[in-house]
Order: sequence, then structure tokens, then C-alpha cells
Amino acid sequence: MGGYSDSEDWKDIVPIPQDDGSPNPLAAIAYTEEYSEAMSYLRAVMGIDEKSDRVLGLTEHIIQMNPAHYTVWLYRADILIELKKDLLQELEWLNTISLKNSKNFQIWHHRQVVMSHIPNIPSNERPFLARVFAKDAKNYHVWSYRQWLVRHFSLWDSELPYVESLLQSDVRNNSAWNHRWFIIFARHTDPEKHSIRNNNADSEVSPETIEKEIEYTKAAISTAPQNQSPWNYLRGILRKQRKGLVPMKAFAEQFADLEKEDEVRSSHALDFLADVYAEEQNKEQSAKALELLARRYDPIRKNYWDYRRSLLGLGQVGA
Amino acid sequence: MKIKPKRIKVSHKSKNRPPLHQLHRRDRNGNLTSKARHNMASDVTAEAAGQDEQDRSISRDGTDPLSLEARFDEQGRPQVPELYTSSPPIRDHLTTDTSISQDDVVKQCLPRLIKCSRSLVGVNSYGIPSLKREDHIKFLQEAIEYPRYIAFDPVRPWVIYWSLTALSLLGENVELYQQRVVETLSPCQNFGGGFGGGNGQLSHVATSYAVVLSLAMAGGGKNMDMLNRRALWRWLGELKQTDGGFRVCVGGEEDVRGAYCSMVIISLLALPLELPPNAPARAHGFTSFLDGLPEYLSRCQTYEGGVSAVPQSEAHGAYAFCVLACLCILGPPNEMISKYLDLPLLLSWLSSRQSAPEGGFNGRTNKLVDGCYSHWVGGCWPLIQAALSESPENPNAAKSTVGSLYSKEGLTRFVLSCCQADGGGMRDKPNTFPDAYHTCYTLAGLSSTQHDSGYSGMRHGEAGYPLDSAFAWESSKEDSDGPKNEALELIDAGDTLTSLHPIYVIPWGVVERCRELFSKKTGF
Repeated sequence: MGGYSDSEDWKDIVPIPQDDGSPNPLAAIAYTEEYSEAMSYLRAVMGIDEKSDRVLGLTEHIIQMNPAHYTVWLYRADILIELKKDLLQELEWLNTISLKNSKNFQIWHHRQVVMSHIPNIPSNERPFLARVFAKDAKNYHVWSYRQWLVRHFSLWDSELPYVESLLQSDVRNNSAWNHRWFIIFARHTDPEKHSIRNNNADSEVSPETIEKEIEYTKAAISTAPQNQSPWNYLRGILRKQRKGLVPMKAFAEQFADLEKEDEVRSSHALDFLADVYAEEQNKEQSAKALELLARRYDPIRKNYWDYRRSLLGLGQVGA
Repeated sequence: MKIKPKRIKVSHKSKNRPPLHQLHRRDRNGNLTSKARHNMASDVTAEAAGQDEQDRSISRDGTDPLSLEARFDEQGRPQVPELYTSSPPIRDHLTTDTSISQDDVVKQCLPRLIKCSRSLVGVNSYGIPSLKREDHIKFLQEAIEYPRYIAFDPVRPWVIYWSLTALSLLGENVELYQQRVVETLSPCQNFGGGFGGGNGQLSHVATSYAVVLSLAMAGGGKNMDMLNRRALWRWLGELKQTDGGFRVCVGGEEDVRGAYCSMVIISLLALPLELPPNAPARAHGFTSFLDGLPEYLSRCQTYEGGVSAVPQSEAHGAYAFCVLACLCILGPPNEMISKYLDLPLLLSWLSSRQSAPEGGFNGRTNKLVDGCYSHWVGGCWPLIQAALSESPENPNAAKSTVGSLYSKEGLTRFVLSCCQADGGGMRDKPNTFPDAYHTCYTLAGLSSTQHDSGYSGMRHGEAGYPLDSAFAWESSKEDSDGPKNEALELIDAGDTLTSLHPIYVIPWGVVERCRELFSKKTGF
């Protein structure tokens, strides 16, 4: 880079150096000359709201030096839209940066803004996301973006096989379970109305779907019963079904039989059974499950288990 | 706060034989047995079957794994409870990416938790290392001067906030920075309202949050004169969305950070709650910043019980704090939290965030512990506990408070044993580098184990500003009659931190000072 100050293309712009407020500012960054100069030109062109090819190039240059720079991303998105740039080409460029900086908020928001101006989902989009998830299958921002993508392009029906492949390779991937919930259940709820607290604004999920999900989840639990993700998912389904937890009692007891205290295979089964027994008004059994959790199988959460036990209205532990 | 005298505690159940943890871990000379050495090296990768047997036998002894009595071996060396020194009691055989990374973290943490029990150097009678206060102060004094990397350019106000908050926690006087804080942050303010991450950067609600809190901490008073409150109010109006939430900046993403940061700024500066005339949400029929907001936050609770960044995303500890704290700005915790969230479900999810043997919190189901969740998750607890307690505003109800619902001991051990970096500063977990962010939030979490805070309720006839309840919290007095704080029992007297306001995450006095300055202001 010969620098902007030496360039014929930029000679009409008077750069605005950074105002640091004092000669001795706090949190002073060790800027490189290249970065400082580019930022001085950015301040200048943003000041006159210039949206042009050369500014697009400038934003690219700064992003390469500092991809966490939200201001530059937002300005770049404005330019792309205003100049009606080839957005598919933008995605191509974005792909290379995203793979290197996948944890950054700005990149995924930018992608969403760009994608919202593209009429149909590009064929490369989901293969690209698969590459990102191959590096980190729990990347929060990428999952949020994918959910937006699914809703925006109505991709509900083609998502399930991918989720299942992720769960196949790691049944503990909670992001994948959450995505499964999203495509099976949240699909039928209005994100502007639905809340867990009020359990309202739900349109019907068919009993067949609920049964199928219960079976899938039970199989997942059986492969690794100490995995909390499918237990949470199962409880979610059962709340939807509104038939309580008792129908799953025999299933849960496979992993935690209170008569065989030494052979508990899942603390989550114990937790589940504590609720089952409470639902059956069998407070002693419920308390026993909670005591086992507090004392032996999940003692880091002892205070919580004791609190749960206190809600049963029985006497003190061991009294 | 006192240091317990060193003594050997023998529980009645083990009178006739050595306590089991000694049996398993040490020979007569106090050296680790070969079995114990084997465990330290390979516990976490061992197949479940054989390992389970041994781990379970420990709790069969009947000793309370969370007993707060310090235990010592024959040489008087402290013993750390088994809960923090061995693999969890149940492990599945199946190996996946999640279990591999979890095992890896346990492998990094265990030696640090166990090491404390092998030597008297630098650890107290509970086997907990002391706080390297001076090293952390030095680290922060450097961090606030030179965050080094260009990547920090868009978050310079955050670097200042993290450093000032952490220094305050460590008892340092941050008003020394008063002039430089004002000078550094002034060029971040935009004419259109709000603050960007640096000079010429777009206004962002997170950096504005960091600016407001930093100015308040570094002296408050005339510092606040530099805030253009009217412009800030108008700019926040542009962020308000028709679904009730807030974007983080104009054209930026909408999530619960936007809501929490906006409401902190609005309530602390006592800005009008009425939306400015330019607010696009007015077209939707909204007239107040509060319109649709609690309902929006409510929609971010997921089937797991936790709270996500946006409706229907995955439950996450940092967003849970934003939502709970935001609800507690909007009204009394026992009204707001139980009205807008399924509280038992939330409680179950929040409690699941604490992981053993590490003792710290993770942010999501099946993810790894990280020191920063000591605040994001740890900071949810006082808010939740307040929501579960009787309403102090109802004088007829017997005032009952719910005690700590998580293990303060676990968090204390994790923070002091695993998060302190050798050269000062706090980190995510062993084998990571310290930074100002982790130092701030790890210490904030540690502080919240030491100081209980709760909702004190509003005195009758006090109501004026609609968000008054946000200021009706108090830190419980150390000499009160309530149950002893277990976290204070565990650490040396010199290792206590100062206390922060549970919603604003700055010292209490700073919140009060802001409140005094702005609550009586009429107009801008």
C-alpha cells in the first residue's frame, strides 16, 4: 500500500486525524501507521457521507486490519445497497473473512443485512455454514444467523437432516438441539407473541410430531443418559403435550431406580423423577430423589436441591 | 471474617478409620498414592465403569461433600473436598467433541484445585489460594493505559469500564483517573447522541453504557456535564423497535443487550421515559421506552428455561443477566421476574450452569466453564433470590429471604484457583491469557459471593420516578443477624472485594451519587 495521502485517487479528501482528547489518553491503542491513515480517511468520507467504489475499497482495507470494527461494517453495508453492488460477490469475499473470524458479531449481522437483499438463498450458503460449524458447531452468532435465514427463506422442511447429522456426530451439541426445537416447534409459534411464561400463541403441533420427537429424544437419552440436552428437550415437549411428566416415569426409572441407589446412571433422570413423584403426590419419593442429588449425584447444586426439597413441605432432611 | 484456627476435624462417622479422602489419595507420609496420581493424570479420560466405582465410594462414606469444615491430613495440610478434586460421579461412555473438550478443561482445572491441598504455600486452611491483589492491580493499571491490540479500537470505552470496575472491586481509588477518563471519552460522543467506540465511530449502546458508567465511577458530578442527555435520549429513541426491544446501534442488530444497556442509561440518568418525537416506534403506537419491553424480554426465555439473545435462540448466561437486570430496572424483582418468566424453569436452568469439579459456571448447556460467567451467571443469583423472597413492600407478609441457591464455595475455589494468571489479571480458564474483560467479570462474580444484596423495597410515599425500584436494593450488612456468608468463611480477611450494585455493576456509592444528581432534574 502506497498509502492514501500519496494516491491521486484520494487527493481531494482531507483526512481527519483521530481526536484522542488529550496527549495522554486512556486505553491508547498501538495503531500502525497504515491503520491510522485509513481511519483518518474513513472519518473524512463518512463526514461527507460519500458512498463510492473507492470508499468500498477503503472499508475492505480497514476490515482486513480490524474485522471487529462495527462502524466500518455498517457503512459498508449502506454503500453496497446504495450502489447496487453484486451481493453474491460480497458473500464470496465475506466467506473467506468469516472463516478466519467466525466469533465476531459484526460479520454475521453484515451477512444478514446483505442476504436480506438477495431474493433467493444462494446454493452455496448452507454448504458454507456447514464449513463454519465444522470448526465450531456451537457458534452462537452463526446459529442465530441460521435461524434468521430459515425463517426468512422459509427453509423449515430441509433443515432436519442437517440437524440430525450434527446430533449424530455429537449428541451433546445443545445448539443443535435448540435448532431442532426451532424447526419443529418454534416454527409454529409467532416470535412476536409467544412466550414460555404464558405458553400462549401456540398453534397446534400434531400429536404425531410430538410422538416422533419423544421417540427420537428417548433414543438420544439412551445413548448417553447423563447428557442434559435431550432431557431439557424432552421436558419442553412434555410441556407442549400438557399431559405432565408421569407418562415418562418408566422410561426415566431405567436410569435411576431409587431402590438401587448405587446404580444411578443419570442425575437428570433423578431430577426428572423428583418432578414425576411430586406430580403423583408422592412427596417422600420426590424428597428421596432430591436428597440423592444433593448428597451424592450432583452435590455442587446442593443448595438448589435442598430448596426444591423445601418446596415439598416436608420436614428437615434427616430429621 | 476470620481465619479459622487450623485443627483436624474428625467427623463422628469416621472416628475409627481415616477419612476416605485420605485413604484414597495419600499414603502415611502424606504422598499421593499411585492410585491418586493415576487419577490426577487420567481421571478425566478414563472410561466410566471402573472410575465410577471409586468416585462413588467417597460419598458413600456419608461425609457431607460440601461441609465447610476445613480438613487436614496428618501433616496439617489442608484437604480440598472430593467434590472439587475428582471426576463427576456419573460419566457416560460415549465420547464426542463435547465430552473431549469438557474432559480437557477438567484436566486443566483439577491439578490447580488439587495442588492447593498439597502445599501450604499461598493457600489458606481451606486449600484456597489467596487473591494476588497487588498483581491484579498492576495488571489493570497497565490494561487501562495500553490495551495493545487494534481489535480493541472499537471498544475503548469498555476497556476503561472493565479496568475501573475491577480496580474499584480491588479497593483502588479510581477517581485518580477522573480527568483522563473525561478527556478520553469526550471525543467518542457524537452530535446525534450517544457514544461510539472511538472518535468518529457510530454511536453504539454498549459503548454508551460503558461510557456512562465509567464517567460515573471516575468522579461522577461534573463529569456528567459532558453528557448531552437530550441528544442521548433522542438517539435511544431511534433504537427502540416495534417488537418492544432495542437495536444496539442504528442499522445494527437487535438483542437483549440493547434493552439492558438502554435501560441502564435511561434509568441512571433519569431520562424521560416518553419516546422522543423522532422515534420510529411511535408509528407503531408506542409512546414510551417501556412499551412492549417486558413482553419482548419474556419472549427470549427458551424451552430450557434460560434466556437467549433474541426470541427462540439458545439460552445463554450473559443474555440471562441482561434480561433479569433489565426486568429489575422495570419494577420490583418479585413482581417482574415471576410475571414475565417461568421462574422454576429459569431456576433449574441457572442452577445447571455450575459445574463440578471445576466449581465455576458455564454459559450454556454442555459448554465449558469460563471465569466471565462468574458475573453473567453469578450476577443472576441475587436477582433471582430477590424474586423468590417475600415482597418487602407488603408489610403484612413475614419477610423471608431465600438463601444462596448456588455453591459459593465452588465459585470461590474456581476463581481463586483456576482464573488467577501468574503475572496478574484474571482469565477465562487455565491455559488462556488474562485480559481486562475477564478480570472485571471474574472479580465481580467473586465479590457477589462475598456480599449478599437484596431488594429492600420502596418506602411508602417515595414513588416518584417510575423506575425508582431499580434503586431500592441494598447490600446486606456484614454484622447483621442473618446466616453467616459461607464465602467469607472460606477466604482470608485480606481477600475480600468491595461490593457492586447488582443491576448497574458499579459500586453502590456511585449509583447513589448518580441518582442524587439526576433524580431531581426536571427536563434536560
